[in-house]
Amino acid sequence: MPELNLIEKVIALEAVDLLRNLTPDQLARVATIARELSVAPGDSVIDGKQQESLYVVLDGSVDILRGSDLLHTATQNEVIGAWSLFDPEPMSLTARTGKSGARLLRIQRDDFYDLLSDNMEITASIFATLVKRFRKLVEQ
Amino acid sequence: MNALRQLWRSFFDIRPNERGRVLFMFLNLLFVLFAYYILKPVSRALFLTKFDIDKLPWLYILIAAVGGVLAFVYTKVAIRSSLSKAVLGSTIISIACLVILWALLNRPNPGAWLFYLFNIWVSLFSIMLVSQGWLVAANVFNSREAKRLYGVLGVGAVIGAAFGGTFTAYATKLFGVNNLVLASAFMVLMAYLAYVGLTRQPGVQLDRAKGADEEEAEFHFKDIVAAVVEYRHLQVIVGIITITYIVDVLVEYQFSAMAKANYQSKEQMTVFLGSFFGIYLNLITFFFQFFLTALVVRLFGVGGTLQIMPATITLASIATLAFPSVLSTASARLAEAATRYTFNRTGMELLYLPLPTELKNRTKAFVDIFVDRFARGLGGGILILAGLVDLEVRYVSVIVMVSCIGWMYLSAIARREYISTVRKRLESRRLDIESVRVSVSDPATIQLLESTARQGNPRQAAYALSLLEASQSAALGPLLDELADSPHPDVRAKVLELARKSGHAALLDRSLRELRSFRAGEHSPTLAPAVAYALTFSPEVARLARTLLDHTNDQVQESTVDFLADSPAVARELLATDWFSQCKSSAQPHRRRLAALALRGFPDTHHADLLPLLRDPDPRVAEAAFRTASVLQDRSYIAPMVDRLCESRLRGSALSALAAFGPRITGTLGDLLMDPSSSASSRRHIARALQQIPHQRSVDVLMEAIAESDLSVRSAVLRALHRLRETAPKLNFGRTSVSDQILKEARNYYELHAALAPLRQNQDRHKATGLLAATLEERLKATIQRLFYLLGLKYPPREVYAAYLAVNRGKAEEVSTAIEFLDNTLERPHKKLLLPLFDAPEHLAERGREEFGLQSLDAERAIRTLLDSGEEWLVCCSMAAAAELGIHSLLPRIQELRQGAGLEVGRVADMAVAQLAA
Repeated sequence: MPELNLIEKVIALEAVDLLRNLTPDQLARVATIARELSVAPGDSVIDGKQQESLYVVLDGSVDILRGSDLLHTATQNEVIGAWSLFDPEPMSLTARTGKSGARLLRIQRDDFYDLLSDNMEITASIFATLVKRFRKLVEQ
Repeated sequence: MNALRQLWRSFFDIRPNERGRVLFMFLNLLFVLFAYYILKPVSRALFLTKFDIDKLPWLYILIAAVGGVLAFVYTKVAIRSSLSKAVLGSTIISIACLVILWALLNRPNPGAWLFYLFNIWVSLFSIMLVSQGWLVAANVFNSREAKRLYGVLGVGAVIGAAFGGTFTAYATKLFGVNNLVLASAFMVLMAYLAYVGLTRQPGVQLDRAKGADEEEAEFHFKDIVAAVVEYRHLQVIVGIITITYIVDVLVEYQFSAMAKANYQSKEQMTVFLGSFFGIYLNLITFFFQFFLTALVVRLFGVGGTLQIMPATITLASIATLAFPSVLSTASARLAEAATRYTFNRTGMELLYLPLPTELKNRTKAFVDIFVDRFARGLGGGILILAGLVDLEVRYVSVIVMVSCIGWMYLSAIARREYISTVRKRLESRRLDIESVRVSVSDPATIQLLESTARQGNPRQAAYALSLLEASQSAALGPLLDELADSPHPDVRAKVLELARKSGHAALLDRSLRELRSFRAGEHSPTLAPAVAYALTFSPEVARLARTLLDHTNDQVQESTVDFLADSPAVARELLATDWFSQCKSSAQPHRRRLAALALRGFPDTHHADLLPLLRDPDPRVAEAAFRTASVLQDRSYIAPMVDRLCESRLRGSALSALAAFGPRITGTLGDLLMDPSSSASSRRHIARALQQIPHQRSVDVLMEAIAESDLSVRSAVLRALHRLRETAPKLNFGRTSVSDQILKEARNYYELHAALAPLRQNQDRHKATGLLAATLEERLKATIQRLFYLLGLKYPPREVYAAYLAVNRGKAEEVSTAIEFLDNTLERPHKKLLLPLFDAPEHLAERGREEFGLQSLDAERAIRTLLDSGEEWLVCCSMAAAAELGIHSLLPRIQELRQGAGLEVGRVADMAVAQLAA
């Protein structure tokens, strides 16, 4: 399968709730640090240890598990590990690809921070999204 | 001898680097006050001998009203110019006015209006030159220096006033009253020469200072009234000040009336007033200020100090009532004026202390401009009423005494309010003693601070200690000894820091104990203060420093190097040796960091050694090297620091270090900013560095880049200019080129709008055409932002920003107000193009056709235009949209663009070509 081009990456990133407020221009900048990754069937994506990346499922599926219990199966355009961009603590969940494997888009925390430090407006948009979430939680 | 020196220092603690500044400032104030104390008795004597005493209240009212308006106008004009220009301007105006007044006074039978005019002008003189003299002092000395040195400068003012008065008393007979006006003009010239001498002293930079207190020109009457209604504390202040000035006018009237009755000729009157104002009043004021004020504040606190003035005036008024004479009224006048400039001024300064700084400054400005004049006018009104009922001069004392009783009552309330406000501000750690230009020795405040230092939580305690130090409290030493064993590291750190600053050497053992307790890798807030303290007071600095350089704790080593770098002699002995050579080439980043810090101590011999450290791969080493570069400021350091602006961990320190070089590197930064071969990211950060150098050269360099083709760089440049306009509004922002750029950006908006029109219905951002439409929408918003940045450079920035926010929020009512503002403010060519953006967006296509000949576009032509934009993302979106919409006519253009395209554009082009060819 040919590698995703910039437009396709941006369209895939549109699915990420955390990046919802970004303009297409800004998403294009995030897309430049997103790398494609093919994971073989049954391989681990998140192993419960320190997590440093966010993943968007492009093709295939990824099972999210707590211990041996299946909580959810993430399919195309779903996001895994969004909070790991901000929280380096180990996760209580694990994730591994389904029977057909998966093609993922990965954003690593260090690259993301570098991008944020160079693009204040992206940082501001992400803060705005986080604040909206907090406000919603508080109101609930 | 030592005791004598200590006594001298307790009064006049002038440090070697301050001597030149103090000398010329002292002379400036001396000459200004000399000139003023010639004019004051002359103008008043001429008035009193020309008119009956019943005209005096009218003069008070005229001075309050006309003098107030003139003072306000002067402040508004002065705020727009630099302090140096304001001083030159007011000197020229003063000398010219004095010469004209002298000529007019010497005409046969000068008109009555001239005497009113002369007195009003003298009131303005005190604002233009006397207040300006103190404003210059405020810009030449920081608040810590001011606390030590204002006393010395005050002596200059007192000597000037005394000389002025004495000169007037003696010279009247020699030269005649009218000719003294010329002598005053000569003194103004001498004051200016002293000012020129002052500006040539190292470190004196008055070009950036404004010609008047900003608060005086900027405060809004409505805001202050609202604050006065809200704060009881402010009500008390305004009440006290109003009564102070009413009483001032009443007492002055009584004194003038008695003087007029006793001295018939203008010569006699001038001699008397010259001696009274210049000599007696000033000497008493001087005595009170130097020997009594601090003592009184220490003994009686704020409330007691504020009671002294009304109590003294009441006593003197009883004497006037019982024995009306020149002697009794002069005593009342002496008591009033001398206590007003000493006890009362210090008491009021303390009363302002707990107010938030901004409110304090605005309130002071309100009091100076409005309350002062209103109260004096009111005093004049009371005297006119008294004249209507034929009240004898002696019975004015009754009104004075009644006012003083109200005044004493308010002073008692003031004390309560003061303590309560200080407590609240202390708890929230928002008490600003540092900026106050008098020593805070009020016992209640000191007690409150000491008790917070002992019992407050660690942060409050450390804060209270800083305030005690800023207040120059005598009780600091014993308190520091007591708190040196505090269990809280924050408090101990503060104790050591303050003990070092105040020369309190009793904690050496304590600091050494502290140092011995540190283990490798341990961090503590006490670490750096303990190192600095021990090295400051140790009898064997070199030996101790050697030991500390070998300490197992890295931070101890670093603090030692930091200290030594500021002590060049020891630094050369210890650091500029094998130690440095080993450190700079060490494999351990920590050792290289030490080398970078140490270089500050011996710049002459090792300046080139910093270059590799600026490029060091370890960010901690580079950060330390940047700090040193910001001190040494060699031009060869600029390039390595600019190169590292793109590293997020180093950016902040690189920007600060570059900004520290100041305007002399703006040309180099400008070259890099305009260099298209540098990365956009690096150029954006260079704009930020320029933004931190508030100088005309930064503005000029940034203005050259406002038409920069890279949008992100252009936005950064405009943002930097916008910030500079905020921080340094007096700089010239090249209005013509801004105007041209506004028109260019407006055209850009119309073009984008035309390109968006055929694509606007595509809203789905999961499709390429939707992404293209959304991108164009965002570009329109960004263009509006850049337009407002530009408007802010040409029109009033605050109002323009408010209009931008209103337009952005999109609420109909606010947008309408913003449009109204733009309609009234913008020049016609701008208005014609910009108002339709907000007022009639549905007619933009039509207006674009009329103004720029822009034709309506269909999707194919719009995308073709965007393919030629040269912007990577826009080109990618346009290619993908062309493919998505199946616009085959664009295939050759896309294939053409594919040649020589970069990786990202190439991939999208391949996809588009494949889809269109299928």
